[in-house]
Amino acid sequence: MDHKKQIKRFVLENFLFTDDENALANGDSLIQKGIVDSTGMLELISHLEETCAIKVENAEMIPANFDSIDAIGAFVARKLAA
Amino acid sequence: MRSLSSRLQHHALDEPGRRAIAEGERRIDYSSLWAQACAFAQSLESSGVSRGDRVAVILSNCIEAVVACYGCWLAEAVVVPLNAQARPRDLEPWLRHCEARCVVHAHDHADAQAACTAIGPDLIRILVGGHATGHGALSWEQAIAQSATANAPEGNDHALAMILYTSGTTGAPKGVMLSHANLAANVDSIIGYLELNKDDSIVTVLPFYYSYGQSVLHTHLASGAYLVIEQNLVFPHLMVETLAREKVSGFSGVPSTFLLLLNRVPLADYDLSSLRYLTQAGGAMAPAVAQRLHEAIPQARLFIMYGQTEATARLAWLPPERFAEKQGSVGIPIPGVELEVRTEAGTVAAALEVGEVFARGPNVMLGYWRNPEASVGVLKDGWLKTGDMGHIDADGYLFLSGRRSDMIKTGAHRVHPKDVEEVLAELPEVGEVAVLGVDDDTLGQVIKAVIVCAPSAVLNELKVKAHCRERLAAYKIPKIITFVDSLPKTASGKVRRTELSKPTVSQEAP
Repeated sequence: MDHKKQIKRFVLENFLFTDDENALANGDSLIQKGIVDSTGMLELISHLEETCAIKVENAEMIPANFDSIDAIGAFVARKLAA
Repeated sequence: MRSLSSRLQHHALDEPGRRAIAEGERRIDYSSLWAQACAFAQSLESSGVSRGDRVAVILSNCIEAVVACYGCWLAEAVVVPLNAQARPRDLEPWLRHCEARCVVHAHDHADAQAACTAIGPDLIRILVGGHATGHGALSWEQAIAQSATANAPEGNDHALAMILYTSGTTGAPKGVMLSHANLAANVDSIIGYLELNKDDSIVTVLPFYYSYGQSVLHTHLASGAYLVIEQNLVFPHLMVETLAREKVSGFSGVPSTFLLLLNRVPLADYDLSSLRYLTQAGGAMAPAVAQRLHEAIPQARLFIMYGQTEATARLAWLPPERFAEKQGSVGIPIPGVELEVRTEAGTVAAALEVGEVFARGPNVMLGYWRNPEASVGVLKDGWLKTGDMGHIDADGYLFLSGRRSDMIKTGAHRVHPKDVEEVLAELPEVGEVAVLGVDDDTLGQVIKAVIVCAPSAVLNELKVKAHCRERLAAYKIPKIITFVDSLPKTASGKVRRTELSKPTVSQEAP
């Protein structure tokens, strides 16, 4: 499974409590839609650090990197390529 | 008494270009804020909103929410800020209960739309954002388009200014009725002890639909100060960057706000030397956390505060100079307020004797909107029965030791267990359920649901949470779900909640 699919599955299961892929579009804002709050974001980042073996720096914790499945997928891809 | 709207008018006339609010890239000065409030009031009146009518505002923190609030007061209407995270299940009964004449909401807020549609076409709607109005709704641009002048109404001190709903819709909703005099009195007391003035500025992340957020908003506008609105704490370091960039003098939070900052942001890396005051309310913060905060931002005076919506917001404050000596205390009564601890027999408790906290002062609410039974239950002889337990020491400092009610405090939110239990009980697989708050290092409490499945029923955690997600605001969804064979009960059949708060391993059932 690619990282984006795996991240989406995590968000669906842990914040929307469903396995329905259609419940969330990859471009949907996780923050504006109230899907992820401050503690949810910490859970999401911890999950990424564990499963993708990356370290997310404070300066990287910005909406541009974490506000949608697309953004997170692109961020993880950049981190893994670096 | 000087009303809050007259103070806003004063600043607009006295120093028109003075900065009032920042929200993202948007800025508004006092003159424009006042002009927009006047125009909004004019629109309300043109649309048929009359004196005393209720105007519900379902908005996240934004400039429009502030304009709508002051515009309502200029039109002598009653503003009803409603939780923008609430689902139709709560929104619709609140709108019905307050008999809202008008609703202001974001154009793309599907839950607000659904609730308004259920109420019917007579409801006047003002939509923030977007352009298409349709269905007779006004756009925000239309609502503030008319050039209008107004003077802050006078002589309506004891008229109803605001209704704040403190609980969900299980049973009769509790809408706290606050008069203009209530609001002004509490604002004056807070400005006094915080020593706020027009050179102050604050970053606020507290929702305006809660009393703490309202209090921060109005105390600063009444002072001619500057507010920087931050929408959320999802990225705590960005908020700290805002504190440093804007060089604000103040910051307000609940315990979980400060814990997030302390645990997630290297505060020493930022120049926070402009901070003069920090305020904390919304539940007890461990003295050790307060101490860490003091050490992290040593020049800022930390004000520990206590209050409740029924008292407009604030009842007590701990002078920062007494923090070390009075650790664990929520302080002394704010100016104009009397506090008493009473025994079960109703007599005034002796120093150090634990009892229930009662309060009296010009900030105590008028009562609960159209709920006389609940009003009589907490207002007696001019005193407010707070439901909080505690004692007062020999120096007059109040120490709290719990609540009589089962209300759960999670982050900045209050959740009534019954609201969640009612939703869970709608699942056919649920036989019995009890919901309670359990201690959490960051949020103070998190919601735990303990479920007894119906005979032969199969249920799992995901299904329970998905069911809640459809019906409840995200912060009301239980974080912990356990399945048990039976609930511990007293001889009279009441659930023993304290026994349920013990840690258990979540398991699928049956």
